[in-house]
Amino acid sequence: MNIGAGMKSDALRGEKTSLAGWLWISPWIVGFLVFMLLPMAMSLYYSLTDYPMLEKPLWLGLDNYIRMMSDPDVIGAAGRTLLYAAISIPLSIFLALVIAAMLVSRVRFVGALQSMIFLPTLVPLAASGMVWLWLLNGQYGLINRVLGLFGIPGPNWLGDFAMGSLVLISLWGVGQMVVVFVAAMQEVPESLYEAAELDGMHSARKFWSITLPMISPVILFNVITLMIGAVQVFAVPFIIRSATPGGDLKRMEFYTMVMYDHAFVNGQMGYASAMAWVQLVVVLLLTAIMFAMSKRLVHYRG
Amino acid sequence: MGEHDHDNPLGLYTRRAAMGTLAAAGLGFALFGPRGAREARDGKIVLDYWEKWTGHEGRAMQKVVDRFNATIGEQKGIRVRYLVTAGVDQKAMIAIAGGDPPDVIGMYNYNVPQFAETGAIRPLDEFGDLSPKQDQYAQGVWPILTHPDPKDNGRVRVWATPNTGGTICLYYNKDAFKAAGLDPERPPRTIAEFDDYSKRLDRFAGGGSGDIEHAGFLHTEPGWWSWIWGYHFGGNLYDAASEKATINADANVRAYEWLAATGAKYGAARAERFKSGFATAYSSPLNGFLDNKVAMVAQGPWLANVINEFKPGLNYGVAPIPVSEALYDPAKPVGLVETDVLVVPRDARHPEASMEFIRYTQTREIAEELATAHMKNTVLSHASDEFIAKHPNRGVAVFNAIANSPRGFICPRTRVWPQFKKGMDENMQFMWKGTVPVRAALDEVQSIVQGAVDRNAAARKRRLA
Repeated sequence: MNIGAGMKSDALRGEKTSLAGWLWISPWIVGFLVFMLLPMAMSLYYSLTDYPMLEKPLWLGLDNYIRMMSDPDVIGAAGRTLLYAAISIPLSIFLALVIAAMLVSRVRFVGALQSMIFLPTLVPLAASGMVWLWLLNGQYGLINRVLGLFGIPGPNWLGDFAMGSLVLISLWGVGQMVVVFVAAMQEVPESLYEAAELDGMHSARKFWSITLPMISPVILFNVITLMIGAVQVFAVPFIIRSATPGGDLKRMEFYTMVMYDHAFVNGQMGYASAMAWVQLVVVLLLTAIMFAMSKRLVHYRG
Repeated sequence: MGEHDHDNPLGLYTRRAAMGTLAAAGLGFALFGPRGAREARDGKIVLDYWEKWTGHEGRAMQKVVDRFNATIGEQKGIRVRYLVTAGVDQKAMIAIAGGDPPDVIGMYNYNVPQFAETGAIRPLDEFGDLSPKQDQYAQGVWPILTHPDPKDNGRVRVWATPNTGGTICLYYNKDAFKAAGLDPERPPRTIAEFDDYSKRLDRFAGGGSGDIEHAGFLHTEPGWWSWIWGYHFGGNLYDAASEKATINADANVRAYEWLAATGAKYGAARAERFKSGFATAYSSPLNGFLDNKVAMVAQGPWLANVINEFKPGLNYGVAPIPVSEALYDPAKPVGLVETDVLVVPRDARHPEASMEFIRYTQTREIAEELATAHMKNTVLSHASDEFIAKHPNRGVAVFNAIANSPRGFICPRTRVWPQFKKGMDENMQFMWKGTVPVRAALDEVQSIVQGAVDRNAAARKRRLA
């Protein structure tokens, strides 16, 4: 075999390898281009147009974005969404941490408890929305019945207390976070706790000074995913709102719901696309802020 | 490793062949794969008919389709496929925008302006003998079917036919009337009487200060038509000719002040607590009216279905919803007229065949059969004696009278109607609870809605230019 022919063969083999790689990942690439990048590019274009779907888009420039700035529906819904995120994220993280800490502290039946806590996350959102609708019913709801046993008059959960109810429902789904936190807590080196015990640290201090810093990257991950979910909150309030005609609709109207109404009820896909892009920018900004803050608060091993 | 493996270290040729085969199969599937056949093997034209109805309503429509297929369809070589489609108006919008619509769509009456103005549906007056005629239909129904065509200098054209219809009346519990010392054969006619009756039907725990035990009438039960009350005081919401919303007109303010006063009488928190005990779905024995919690309720003819299913012994009567004193005229009752409609989308492949099917549904026999099965009033100008005699809703004559009344009203005919409804739905709660003064609430809706109307008018001008 001469050297030139060998190099040519190697190069050909490299090209073939590369081609094979591209071929194997092509389903994902095609899917990404056709079902993600192209629709995103189209929605960016539509956001700059008047596009009622049933007619061709007409160029508007930035009009949709300017209109959003003074649209009371959009501003109100954005405010409610941010408020919901501001309440539900810290509460969810706190609750998940407490449950995870209890589970790793050698309680009995950890596996069964973990499964029970994880189980609600497997329930479809539509089904859980319907279940909560009845649990929170002001007159016949189980929650108010239980409160009544203790002589506490339950509120009309889906009326004046709608925001609180939705936060409560969101807490029901912390099981997934609990599982991640438990795994992270179990990875914290035992030697750190032993050293802390020699220094005379009590349990709460160990949790604060060792556990939290050691699992802080996992907490950051969960905060970011929770934030993205909270900014896009839709299914449960949408179902509850649809099932309570005559109820206080404004209290349950979040940003994505207004966007949905504009797209599919009012036939204003251009305006809805602009709302979607603003939502994306807000999520990116909040994520960037969290990453910036994480430099001081999150500790990466090594 | 053999000679062949050196030349093909990754088994690339085999993989390439596999990928090529897969790609060819995918392309072949996309080009020639199964899809909704538009022509049957026996040569018949196949029409896809999207409709929202399921359950007994769906079964009744399926019967109509089956009978068409066995008779007219058999003669003319047409076969209709009934396809239940949830969220039919939204899915129709997407299918039409995508250029692959069904052949016939069963939509809601308020969809007509939006789909007509955008040219998403075909005018039905271009089908000659198959076209719907005004004298076929009840007086209040015809305006639902027509709309100006902006692409034809605003000429009013016919875009839809009614499938079934429903007017909104007052159901009242005759036994509750008797218990309160009211004449069960003399329902309230004016707003003043309405208030008086309602007060006499109210019962509260603890002699008035406690929870509501029984209510005369709640605007929020079921609260589906937050926007109708102004019409019962002589008002309206929209002047189509000038494209002006009239939401904060004086008559409407008077109507919603009456609504707010009723809310204040019950107390918002107390009424909410009371109402939260009703079923969330109206089709339930825990429906406030069926459960004898509320003595009078504004509802459509279909409520009789629920009564007959869950409480067949309920002794109820039906009357037009009361109006302000000056408006009362027994010959011209006031009430909302609604219908479901059938339309032919643009790009429908067999529009003539679609119209053959639609015309079949408009014959007296079929229209009355379907209305009876759905327990709705007729959409036709005259109901047959048999229809009235056999109809399972004992108040059908009252519902028919509203459909034929010159004072029957329909929702504002504009494509921004969803924004009217949303604004009124949301603000009705504020007015009911007294958290926002009536005038301020209606001013706010007026401002938002007029903005939407103006934007729509400007967009239409831009498009026509």
